[in-house]
Amino acid sequence: MKLDWRQGILYVATIGTEGCWLYALLVLLNEQVADGRLSLFGLLLLYPLSFGFNLLLRRLWSRKVSVLIVSWLAWAVAMLLTLKFQLFGNLAFADTAWLLATPKAIAGLIHGFKPELLVLLSSAALWWLGRRLAYLRISFATSVGEFQFGLVILVITIFVASQLKVEQANSVPIALAFFLFALLGMSLAHAREGKSWLEGLHRGRWAGLLLASIGLIVVLGLLISSAVTPDFLQLILDALKRFWALIMKAIAFLASLLPEPGPAEPVPPISVPAPGTSESEGFRWGLPESVRAALRTGWGIVFVGLIVFALWRISTDVFARLRRKLASMAGAEVEPLSGAFKADFLNWLKRILLKLLGVRISFRIGQKSKSLLPEIASVREIYRRFLQWAAAGGYPRRSSQTPYEYLHAMSTLIPESKEQLSFITQQYVDVRYGFSLPTENDLAQLRQSWNEVAQKRLKRQSTG
Amino acid sequence: MDKVVHEADPSVVRIKEAAEKFVTNVSKVIVGKKETIELVLVALLSEGHLLIEDVPGIGKTMLAKATAKSLDCSFKRIQCTPDLLPSDVIGIHYFNQKNCEFEFRHGPIIANVVLVDEINRATPRTQSCLLECMQERQLTVDLETVFLPRPFLLIATQNPIELEGTFPLPEAQLDRFLLKIRLGYPSEDEEKAILSRFQTESPLDKLSSVIESKELLELQGLCRQVYIEESVSSYVTAITRATRSHQDIKLGASPRASLGLNLASQALAAIRGRNYVIPDDIKQLAVPCLAHRLIAKTEARLRGRSVESIVGEIVSAKPVPVED
Repeated sequence: MKLDWRQGILYVATIGTEGCWLYALLVLLNEQVADGRLSLFGLLLLYPLSFGFNLLLRRLWSRKVSVLIVSWLAWAVAMLLTLKFQLFGNLAFADTAWLLATPKAIAGLIHGFKPELLVLLSSAALWWLGRRLAYLRISFATSVGEFQFGLVILVITIFVASQLKVEQANSVPIALAFFLFALLGMSLAHAREGKSWLEGLHRGRWAGLLLASIGLIVVLGLLISSAVTPDFLQLILDALKRFWALIMKAIAFLASLLPEPGPAEPVPPISVPAPGTSESEGFRWGLPESVRAALRTGWGIVFVGLIVFALWRISTDVFARLRRKLASMAGAEVEPLSGAFKADFLNWLKRILLKLLGVRISFRIGQKSKSLLPEIASVREIYRRFLQWAAAGGYPRRSSQTPYEYLHAMSTLIPESKEQLSFITQQYVDVRYGFSLPTENDLAQLRQSWNEVAQKRLKRQSTG
Repeated sequence: MDKVVHEADPSVVRIKEAAEKFVTNVSKVIVGKKETIELVLVALLSEGHLLIEDVPGIGKTMLAKATAKSLDCSFKRIQCTPDLLPSDVIGIHYFNQKNCEFEFRHGPIIANVVLVDEINRATPRTQSCLLECMQERQLTVDLETVFLPRPFLLIATQNPIELEGTFPLPEAQLDRFLLKIRLGYPSEDEEKAILSRFQTESPLDKLSSVIESKELLELQGLCRQVYIEESVSSYVTAITRATRSHQDIKLGASPRASLGLNLASQALAAIRGRNYVIPDDIKQLAVPCLAHRLIAKTEARLRGRSVESIVGEIVSAKPVPVED
């Protein structure tokens, strides 16, 4: 298997993506289990080491069972060496204490999770990931899967760390790096499959667009991270607490409107927490603190789970849509047209405004609106009024109905005005689709016909 | 564009009169199918080709012959059989022993009106030799290019029920037919009229021409001058594009179909005495012009959906360009 530069970049992107969430997870576990004693970079080094080792094994050896055994033997050696250097640096190699530490930690699992176990499990996971990557064919689907999975783990890890008050000073750069590697991997994987982006005629422009997009995301991320400070988050939390307090006040007010119970049924008073009060002085419901903490954590997990699920669904849908759209363009040679970007951008703005505000704005790009001759405008105006009058009467024109089809329908409703309706329709069709100009007599007759029709009353359609 | 029309455009009047003569003439033989005869004339005026598909004994060949007789044009008939060769259709170079040189003997395709009867009985090889004739109105034999006469109308017939030993037309060839029409069974009164007319003699024998070939060429040119407003053209495009993205359609209509629908609508507008096209013309021609070019998905066919119904559904759903 020849390793070309694109494949190399894909490997780097995948290692970077996985490395980011692995690092975040290891930070959390390191603080909780090993009191921060472990060197995470030393641990993470096992990942690329495993990848390189297994890649070499794959090239040199073809027998699967032998490769598997050799690979995991190598892991065992690497794990023991990591253990020795990370936790038992002060012991000599001849001292077997460090060798026996791991079996002792496994045996004593019920008494607590020891750092030796963390090294064992994390090294196994890292080795397995490296081995997997050596055999993995990195496609666009794989890259997307890596991104989605990594995003979930990263979000959960950051949330749990914040709940457990573990310091996450590097969480923002880690998240940025994660997105950078993930986007790089996905875009390159797709470009390779599509064989049109980075190999075609305009590869420079596409590469520039790709880098600009990634750069924009990074800049936006930095801006967001600088704006969303702990104080800002605290402000939001305080606002939510005030809002909750208002709701409780409203409930208390409504409760106070109810008749007071008799002396045999004392009603417990509803206490409203004052804004800004600490949680320990807040509304209790008579529950012990441990239960409340557990409920809070559970609620937080549910909330985060919902957000993560929503993120997963949205990203899956977005990628599926992108894939379908880009698949339909496979093999297409894109040629830059002057003015095309401006036209596309303005059309996109129009669609957004229509969707969000229901406002239809026409951006005329180099076009001047055609002004109609007064006679033609009169005829069209009368027909428009006729359509509005019929719609108000409960008989709107269906969008797929032609004027003559609509005439036939309306003539059955008001047969006594068939002649006038025919004349109105005929005049409209002549000016709308033809290029005839109505005479003064035609216009006069048209106005008269419309006046006669407008005086009729349409019987409303019965619904249901 | 600011031409004032108080009376009908003379060119359109001429087309309308010719159309009335043609329809009246052919109606002497084909009873009660005025709209179908109009569609034949639409194909003629649009310089398109016609595919008539219907059950046996309905009058397909009779219609083609009546059309040919109504025009003062040469007429040839090709009866397709499985052993028909391309050289039987387009012609062959043969060695003239008398002159000691090769000569080209034209095939029956060299005529103004050519009836290709039971086209689906010919082998795909023979069917494909008609492709160049239909599209480019020329044929290539060895190194020689022979131009077909103008006007040139190819009327093909096929039977939709007897499929054993037949070769369905490829999509490329179906796309070259402007319209596909069906005659349908006559009503009871029409059938009685047929029996009455054909009792003593065939009215086809007494049919005379009503349009000369030179006049027909002029009428074809005049039809192209019929005005199509921009929104109506967009309507045509919208319909054909909708066939490409419909969920029940595997292969949608091509740009050739859009062009054909445009041309056919111009011809129909002229036949109706108008010098402009209206959306009703498009709607009327959508199914004959587009349905045969589409391929429905297997799931749709299993659900009993025909391409005609799908095109009808598309036309019924597309907004017509009218005032909002």
